[in-house]
Amino acid sequence: MNKSWVASHTFHYSRFGDLAHLVEKKREKGLKISLCLPTLNEAKTIAKEIIIMKSELMTRYPLLDEIVVIDSGSTDDTVKIAESFDAKVYLADELLPEHGAYKGKGENLWKALYITTGDIIVYLDADIKNIHHRFCYGLVGPLLLYDHIKYTKAFYDRPIAIGKSKIRPTGGGRVTELVIRPLFSLFFPELTQILQPLSGEYAGYREVFEKIPFPIGYGVETSMILDICEKWGLDVIAQVDLERRIHRNQDTKALGRMSFVVIKTFLKRLENLGIIELKKDIYDQMIQYQLVKNDITPDVVKMAGIERPPMASIPEYREKFGPSAPNAS
Amino acid sequence: MPPYLKNLPGYVEAIRNIRETIIANIVFLGQIPAPTFHEKRRALKFMDRLLENDVDECTTDGYQNPIGIIRGKQSDLPPILLVAHLDTTFPKDCDHNYTITENTIKGAGILDNSVGVGVLASMPTILRHLDLSFHSDILLVGVIQSLGKGNQRGLRHLVKTWPTPIRGAICVEGVELGRLSYYSEGMIRCEITCEIFEEKGVEYRFKPNAILILHEVINQIMAIRLPQKPRSRVIIGMIRGGRKHGIIAYDATLGLEIQSDSDKMVKTIFADIKDMVTGISHEFGVRMKMETISNATASRLRYNHPLVKATGEIMAALDIHTVGEPSESELSILLSKNIPAVTLGLTHGEHYHQTDSQMAIDPLFKGIAQVIGVIQAIDSGVCDE
Repeated sequence: MNKSWVASHTFHYSRFGDLAHLVEKKREKGLKISLCLPTLNEAKTIAKEIIIMKSELMTRYPLLDEIVVIDSGSTDDTVKIAESFDAKVYLADELLPEHGAYKGKGENLWKALYITTGDIIVYLDADIKNIHHRFCYGLVGPLLLYDHIKYTKAFYDRPIAIGKSKIRPTGGGRVTELVIRPLFSLFFPELTQILQPLSGEYAGYREVFEKIPFPIGYGVETSMILDICEKWGLDVIAQVDLERRIHRNQDTKALGRMSFVVIKTFLKRLENLGIIELKKDIYDQMIQYQLVKNDITPDVVKMAGIERPPMASIPEYREKFGPSAPNAS
Repeated sequence: MPPYLKNLPGYVEAIRNIRETIIANIVFLGQIPAPTFHEKRRALKFMDRLLENDVDECTTDGYQNPIGIIRGKQSDLPPILLVAHLDTTFPKDCDHNYTITENTIKGAGILDNSVGVGVLASMPTILRHLDLSFHSDILLVGVIQSLGKGNQRGLRHLVKTWPTPIRGAICVEGVELGRLSYYSEGMIRCEITCEIFEEKGVEYRFKPNAILILHEVINQIMAIRLPQKPRSRVIIGMIRGGRKHGIIAYDATLGLEIQSDSDKMVKTIFADIKDMVTGISHEFGVRMKMETISNATASRLRYNHPLVKATGEIMAALDIHTVGEPSESELSILLSKNIPAVTLGLTHGEHYHQTDSQMAIDPLFKGIAQVIGVIQAIDSGVCDE
């Protein structure tokens, strides 16, 4: 295992705090940067994300060229609020309609590739209560300043060792520690150096995103790391300490469903890589139980594990962007 | 008609065009907890945001009040002071993350006074955006230790030690848009505490109860005949005490404020209440104390003072309905030092002192335009009589 990756590819966001320098680098490279916010009922947080990013990274420092909201069909005021602050808002179902429509974050991220114009795309979850523009420039910084880095991933809350004497606990959330990290340890020990592989904030070059498949749901973060590593190696990935993120806490059942999808995505990749061979098809229903009065009743959720093909293989996309993304370094 | 009046309605739309910058500053500052005496982080952020908004100079005074300076064209003129208090009534562990919707910002302290502080931090950008410059320097001060036991220490220090005269001042408060405060009442804010002596061993079953004793104090205060002139009142605003349901309260505290148009009357009522407290203390054999937490002297600009008149005209030009009301906060300190000053509200809001206090976004732009109008009025000489 290459243990030096964590030392050479881990950054603190403050290292990229010179925003004028980042803007200069962006101009030098002739790049455009898009911020994509996938949403589903985020009326409480969406406005703050748009306002802060627009104020700090568009008006004051023109680091971002556009803010795009891709909505999965919110039933609250998410769309109305996002539009009122002049974000470009799209309904996922209405994009690439001839390719069908699914519900899920991965679906939104995949369709964002078609609708955004940037050479670099930043994906941020839209439910961050303590949003700060560091969430964006921290992820963009390594992509602009280090030519070999093509994809950056956030980690926060559970920081890493600083200096020789100060050790802080590391690690991710419950699904990371109970599902992903054991799987990585078993099959891809090098990837355990990625402290929070399931964090919902990441950025990368279009030329990377357009060449990998996107699971439509929770599996997208897992598949992204495995696919990027397999195609380009760990060296193109960096992780950035964003210090603190206030999460929306999910209940154990929801985390169970998330784990189901993550494991399924993982097994599929293992099989594709020839690491394991499944002798029979695996099921696509997560079965959980609940006690209603005196009856134990199953709560069955179907999660088929559908994946979108690499966007570069979609004819409409190739027509819009050409065979590969423009200006990607 | 003064030349600045005709431009004011146009400012509103121009300010609205940079709303993201203003809201971002309000959020960045307001989300940092700043209970009185613990404003350091917010003060540092205030300076940081002033610098990010390209203020000409940024400094602190000897009391650590953060100050931004927008340089004027005539260095020999006294500066114009814009002041907003940095501290809030909410403790550090209260959730300070704000929620923004299409036309509201909600969260602890947004009205008192994150919006005022955020607007001050945005002022360099706003004035640049409107292409405005002034003869006087503009001082943008986020004062510390303003509320409650802070007793306006930050501002008191600033006006006492500022090396030059101050040409005129505006106190910027969150609400209500339309308020025009140009006078302050005399005020003493105090706390009455009652403690019952605890004894060793088995205690007497029918001991006095601190809460009931304060109840007696309240009854006696209610019986005071307050004059119509000078207008005077006693506000009983806070009470706390006791430990659990089945045990008599060994301690209790009553918070109250005496307000009057006359400083002398405030002192008289204070002395009367103090006598009552002493009497009750002896009568029940308990330890009682009456302490002053903060005070303000009654002071005012006359209604036809050029600053008051000009402010009224500015509000009328912006179609803002004006309501004259007293202010006991920063205004009192400024007026008592003979600095012409007014307090203005920036927007409308609700749940003023609660964790879910909420401000309206849209009226804010008119509120900011009115502040800029008053700066222009002061800069044109309305306070130079």
